[in-house]
Amino acid sequence: MSDSQSIQASLRSRAAELLASDQVAELIGWGAGRFPDQTTPLFITQADQAEGLVYSEYCQNTLGKYAITELSELVADQGKLAICVRGCESRGINRMLKDNQIERDRLYLLGIPCSGMKNRQSGELLSKCMNCSHKNPVIYDELLGETVAEGEPDRFGAVCALEECDRASREQYFDAAFDRCIRCYACREVCPVCTCRECFVDQHEVGWQGKQGNTTENRFYSLTRAFHISDRCVECGECERACPMGLPLMVLNRKLVKDLDDLFQAGEAGLDAVAVNSLGTYDVADVEEFM
Amino acid sequence: MLLAKNRLLELLEHLSTQARVYVPARLEVASLAGESTDSGTLSHFVQYAAGVQPDFELVNTTLPPKDMLFPQTQKMYRYGFDTDGVPYIDPIHDADEVVVFGLRSCDMASIDCMDQVFLTKGYEDEFYAPRRQKLLCVALACGQAAESCFCDSMGIDPNVAANADIQLVAGDEAFSLSAQTEKGQAALSQWQAFLSAGELPVAPAPTSCSLKVEANGLKDKLEQMYEHPLWEQISKKCLTCGTCTFVCPTCHCFDISQSNRMQMGERFRSWDSCMFFDYTEMAGHHNPRAAKMPRVRQRFMHKLCFFEERYGCSLCVGCGRCVAQCPVALDITVLIDQIGAAPLDEKQDVEGAVHAG
Repeated sequence: MSDSQSIQASLRSRAAELLASDQVAELIGWGAGRFPDQTTPLFITQADQAEGLVYSEYCQNTLGKYAITELSELVADQGKLAICVRGCESRGINRMLKDNQIERDRLYLLGIPCSGMKNRQSGELLSKCMNCSHKNPVIYDELLGETVAEGEPDRFGAVCALEECDRASREQYFDAAFDRCIRCYACREVCPVCTCRECFVDQHEVGWQGKQGNTTENRFYSLTRAFHISDRCVECGECERACPMGLPLMVLNRKLVKDLDDLFQAGEAGLDAVAVNSLGTYDVADVEEFM
Repeated sequence: MLLAKNRLLELLEHLSTQARVYVPARLEVASLAGESTDSGTLSHFVQYAAGVQPDFELVNTTLPPKDMLFPQTQKMYRYGFDTDGVPYIDPIHDADEVVVFGLRSCDMASIDCMDQVFLTKGYEDEFYAPRRQKLLCVALACGQAAESCFCDSMGIDPNVAANADIQLVAGDEAFSLSAQTEKGQAALSQWQAFLSAGELPVAPAPTSCSLKVEANGLKDKLEQMYEHPLWEQISKKCLTCGTCTFVCPTCHCFDISQSNRMQMGERFRSWDSCMFFDYTEMAGHHNPRAAKMPRVRQRFMHKLCFFEERYGCSLCVGCGRCVAQCPVALDITVLIDQIGAAPLDEKQDVEGAVHAG
């Protein structure tokens, strides 16, 4: 039995137990899609639905963000919400806890060590998984399977390479990307740290963001979002995976993560639920290179 | 009539001197420093010009051809005060002659749907109508179906685009061309210099989709399912992003807004999505579809029920773009299966549901 098959077996049996005993009211995992190797987020509430859970190397969806909508609909005394959490999901959960979006005592976290997910069509490792720095969940209630060895990710390799390019080619590169953007906002909707009740994009009365689809407006949207999440980005890469137009969003996000690390030793976001946000705190020793 | 494949670019060149010519092409995603994303091959219809490589092997394009008729941003008029302080309003009418070369049957059917919306029932859209009038549709029979294609389940023949002006079929060395409308006939007679008489020596085998759904009776069933628990179930995973609506060739909703600068401004309309919270937000912030479920239900009910009630045809043409692009695999073909299998409980058959869209 492969690692993922044995995780799937434990996941199904634990899910059935947790739901049957009413410890949890609902569980979020993955189920089978229509096509070979395709998976899709699955929400179950009954023990007999646990057989529909799938865990394979094609579970590409990061599930953490669903905690917000599902918890808002679950009545607290019905039981907890269980979610499968790998490294990426767990860091998103920590961020949402830190941002007071969800409550820890209403969650039951089924930890899953993950060696990276594959694109079902190409069979290759998803690019979002290539430089993963936390394959094992950093927060969980129980762990399904053995922890896996953490790799030596090159988180900033692409950022450093882009920094080496001249300004004109960088501008051309990013403008071509923003030109492709169709403003579907999949990046925002899937992001575990995009949790504003009202996004600046939707504040029409203020009018920060125009509705025209063009390079300028699209650039304004993507850059503003990148800045806004910069000190909270957990580097899950879901924005880039969800993007139907192939925008290189992670290189933008990681550029800002790297800058914050250089300027404020910000470190990685979402490793726990208490760390301060580097842009949300002030220290007299902070660098003030632009003053 | 036949068009030798090695004369295709010549014809496109020639047509480009008289009209804007659109062809399917890959959308190049540059990598500056070895960075990569998981988007796979992206494609769209692009204006033919030097350097554009048409790709007629693409099954269907990532982005639909609808923006030729219904651009993502359509400028409507400019307004302001002139130097004497006199207010003015200048309408913007920018329809050009356009030839779209290489539409698929599903794309053509989507244009039929948009024609219904923008040209019938006593309403003729002043921006859509001139663009439509100046559009020559040249369809290309599908040589293969993608994994997510299901047009033949939606009553569309991937081998013949019913209302296209000209139908192409690709052979080994040449395309066969047949005019299906007067406009198509007139075009073919102008293209004579590039064409030769004859038929393809071997007619290609007809294409059919491997993905099948049962679409018969969907409207009638859905009319009784407005309050069905299925909607709550399937909407849980929806992110309420606009991907499905923006890659859909038939989604046609728009929002009107303006951009102002000093003493002048522009009014424009732009694609909107029923998946977005603000789509139904009203003055005073009341929102009848604030939650996720009613929005998901609206999209599918409009596609598979309400549109057919009003116009007599489905608003889903089975192109599979939303199936391929939805980031959470909320798959309309799975939903169609689920609708077919859903038990009808009398309690769910709520009076008036049909009119609530």
